[in-house]
Amino acid sequence: MAETVLNVENLTKEYASGDRTLTVLDHVTFEIQAGSRQAIIGPSGSGKTTLLGLCAGLDVPSSGTVTLMGFKLNAMNEDDRAYLRNQYTGFVFQNFQLLPTLTAIENVMVPLELRGDKNVQTRARELLGRVGLGDRLHHFPSQLSGGEQQRVAIARAFITAPRILFADEPTGNLDEENAGQVVELLLDLNQQEKTTLVLVTHNLELAKRTDRILRMKGGRVVEEMLMPVS
Amino acid sequence: MIEYYIRLKRKVLPLWRDRWVWKMAWRDARHNRSRLFLLVASLITGIAAVVAIGSLNHSLQEALDQNAKELLGADIVINSNKPLPVEVTSRLDTLKVPTAADAEMASMVMFMNTKQSRLVKLTALRGDFPFYGQMVTLPPNAYEQVRNGRYAILDETLATQFEVSSDDSLKIGNKMFKVAGVVTKMPGGGGLTSTLAPSVYISLSELDSTGLVQFGSRISYSLFVKTADEKQTEKVVEKIKPMTKKFRYSYETVERRKEGLGRSFRSVYQFFTLLAFVALVLGCIGVASSVHIYAREKREDVAVLRCVGSTGWQAFNIYFIQVFFLGLFGSVAGAGLGAAIQKIIPVVFKNFIPVDLPFSISWTSVLEGLLLGAIVSVLFTVVPLAAVRFVPPLTVLRTESKQVSRRSRLKLIVIILIVLFPVLAATWQTNSLMKGLVFSLGLAAALGLLALVAWALLRLVRRFFPAHAGFIFRHALSNLYRPNNQTQVLMVTIGLGGFIIATMNTVQHSLLGQVEFRGNTNQSNTILFDIQPSQKAGVISLMKDYQLPLNQTVPIVTCRIRELKGRKVEAMMSDTTNRIPDWALGREYRVTYRDSLHISESMLKGEMQHFVKGSKDSVWVTISEGMQETLRVDVGDSLVFDIQGIPLRTKISGIRKVDWPKDPPNFIFVFPSGVLEQAPQIWVTATRVGEGGSASRFQQELVMKFPNVSLVDLRLILSTVESLFAKISVVVRFLALFSIITGLVVLAGAVVNSKFLRIKENVLLRTLGARTRQITQITLIEYAYLGLFAALTGILLSIGASWTLCRFFFEIDLSVAWLALLIVGSAVTLMTMLIGWYNSREVISTPPLQVLRKEG
Repeated sequence: MAETVLNVENLTKEYASGDRTLTVLDHVTFEIQAGSRQAIIGPSGSGKTTLLGLCAGLDVPSSGTVTLMGFKLNAMNEDDRAYLRNQYTGFVFQNFQLLPTLTAIENVMVPLELRGDKNVQTRARELLGRVGLGDRLHHFPSQLSGGEQQRVAIARAFITAPRILFADEPTGNLDEENAGQVVELLLDLNQQEKTTLVLVTHNLELAKRTDRILRMKGGRVVEEMLMPVS
Repeated sequence: MIEYYIRLKRKVLPLWRDRWVWKMAWRDARHNRSRLFLLVASLITGIAAVVAIGSLNHSLQEALDQNAKELLGADIVINSNKPLPVEVTSRLDTLKVPTAADAEMASMVMFMNTKQSRLVKLTALRGDFPFYGQMVTLPPNAYEQVRNGRYAILDETLATQFEVSSDDSLKIGNKMFKVAGVVTKMPGGGGLTSTLAPSVYISLSELDSTGLVQFGSRISYSLFVKTADEKQTEKVVEKIKPMTKKFRYSYETVERRKEGLGRSFRSVYQFFTLLAFVALVLGCIGVASSVHIYAREKREDVAVLRCVGSTGWQAFNIYFIQVFFLGLFGSVAGAGLGAAIQKIIPVVFKNFIPVDLPFSISWTSVLEGLLLGAIVSVLFTVVPLAAVRFVPPLTVLRTESKQVSRRSRLKLIVIILIVLFPVLAATWQTNSLMKGLVFSLGLAAALGLLALVAWALLRLVRRFFPAHAGFIFRHALSNLYRPNNQTQVLMVTIGLGGFIIATMNTVQHSLLGQVEFRGNTNQSNTILFDIQPSQKAGVISLMKDYQLPLNQTVPIVTCRIRELKGRKVEAMMSDTTNRIPDWALGREYRVTYRDSLHISESMLKGEMQHFVKGSKDSVWVTISEGMQETLRVDVGDSLVFDIQGIPLRTKISGIRKVDWPKDPPNFIFVFPSGVLEQAPQIWVTATRVGEGGSASRFQQELVMKFPNVSLVDLRLILSTVESLFAKISVVVRFLALFSIITGLVVLAGAVVNSKFLRIKENVLLRTLGARTRQITQITLIEYAYLGLFAALTGILLSIGASWTLCRFFFEIDLSVAWLALLIVGSAVTLMTMLIGWYNSREVISTPPLQVLRKEG
């Protein structure tokens, strides 16, 4: 049996909205096995991004627990969660989230440098080469196109060889051609690095290329679809 | 499911060992160089001001130390208002010390080349004065000529004013003196001394021949003593000290002069230091405000860093390192600029300093500046940066995610330190906790009030701005209210410089208003004094010949106080517990006698006279309000006057309020008539002299016929006071300039900070059809509003501050210099427009497509 990398139990997130309490996530429970690909889909406002944020320890739940790589996130403080993210996770965001003041290679190196690793340049060069940006190492984000920026973000996400990769609408800001390239790259690297993938997307075609789809509505997982092994 | 029970082993590296943080700080700064420079630019002017003033003090103290003897011109000076008695001079003779002497008095001098006359300080010299330093004359032998014959030399300013050259003559008293040259430098003299009382020098042996020394003449005698060494100085002091009270003279040694001067300059220096410190505080506000905006802009970057594993402290440290080192850089640049300004300082301060200032850099001041800069870089950046630590990583997913405001111990400590900083720094600068506290409270009050006025003004303008005004006027105004625009901070920082200058102008105008002589009144503008009783009729007749009004003719009797409330004055002066100052007890009083109040007077308490003819009752006198407080006397208290050696017992019948500048002369003590008529006296008349040739001819004839009679042209005093203010205001404006420059640098920083937002706004406007000209107009009008509001804020508060100063400190009426305020307001508005427009050029000229591409 595969190792469980993420366990979500009775996860609830509520926000105060004026006098009312808004329940964005309502007792969500699931677990994710190592090496698997998961897609979370659903209409806008269904709680997908909130769920992703909670799973990655970017936010704290109102109730319920998230256990990432065996560590209960609820019990940790913000800095411990940041450390955990650095050690085990990678991120790809819809709006790329590159640091504008750093070059492409510097952006990629950041997670490993944070660990205190040395000689990280070789690994960063190799990864940027793999995403097709070997000749744009020293360009700043503002000098790259959207597709190129997202490829830098993918290289940054994979540089730590994360056990679990969280991707929030990774193709949401890209044209069709670039979106296709990014999806292929993401899935290839996921396969090569044996990373667990948790993907939030509106793109049903993309979702269908994962092992399991969790459909959300009104803050609940309303459907779980296991996809046939391709 | 398998649960891991592994404890996280997170290594926490201290700042200096966390290489990643340093690397990130450098990488990020590399991209923001010019932007980051603006963050600390406002610090540069503040530090420059502090270092420049600190260096000035250092140079001044050094120069005073080196030239201490030259300031006095001798080792000891004995001062008296009558010739020193033989008892004193004989004691000095026994010590065989070289001496020199002078006698100083106010006298009319006629410049024969133009037949103009003027009241001057006449200094008659004997001996080799100065023993130290040199009286520099042009030609160099002029002083020699004075010592050996009937020659006179005069201050350069006087010679220039009356176009006197070496071949001309001066009529001093009854005698003619040939002009031997001009004095370009006198030991201990400074620009202010010659402004207030320009001097003419003659030989002491010629003084008697002038006929100026008569009864009632006020002459100050000085005896200069040169000693071989400090031991001999002490011996001389031992000889003269015991007789100071008996013969009413004072003495001064080099050390005492140095201390006195040092004390005076320290007070002036402290005032200037505090003005410079205002610029630094403004710089701090600028730094804090810029860093606050910078930290807000970095929120998304921080969230990304938090996502990939950075701790809150690491994120904080990245930006803290940047601003700290830039702060240090700003301090070094400021200290360098301050040291360079040292070159200009002697020019600005030349009228205040009696010695030549060498150009020297005070390393202590430079170090102080660096230390202040380092402290400011930490204190004023930590609070705005503290928010970085708590940026939620969720911001990467939702930019609108709220940052929970958290209580941070660090933030709390720093806020306490920020409150203490001005107190401690001002205490350090002034060496007085009280002054430090008063200054800090004053500054906090000024800043608080400026902020309040700015806040109210902004709200009022928004509320009452005409709704039908043109689009560009309305849009420019609404720009001031955009989020994070720092409008209020800018109004305070720019307004403070304007406030200082406007306050100075208003107070100056109010003070000058006190001595102004308006054309529609019959107020006296000329006083004739030292008129001997035998000359009285002649002088009045001369005035009638010239159809001059005889506004006042008053007798003056000189006297001293012998006893006060039954106690001998000598005993009181020796009593250490006595709280009445010695000068008030020991001085010579010039009193008059009359039975009614003068137009400048009103009775505060008691009555004008209580004298009962024929009775053996005391003589009842009135006293002026201020001196009554100084002498601590009240109605009914007794005073014994010494009238030319004859004791006269009096009692106080009333207290007069005197409006001193109004229709002079005015008096401290007024006796009733029928008491002093037989006492030796002189007369004073007051009149109003018009402009033109007749006034000049009257003066000429007066000096020719009555050479000992002095004429004080009060208009001349007005122009003297004006030129004195002009000299002071140069320094104050120079220092206020630092505050204004700091304010404008803060403005430049704010404009650059808001550039991105402004570009977005302009893109939208252009998309909707706005032309470049309209966008330029909106920008210019926006900064015109800002400058105008900032100036108004400063000016409104300055009127309040000036009123407070005039009412409670100077005790005069406020007179607002509207024209000066208009100039200050216009200058501030124009400079603000210029700086705003200059820093917005890129925003205005960037084509929308280029912006949209950048955005993408």
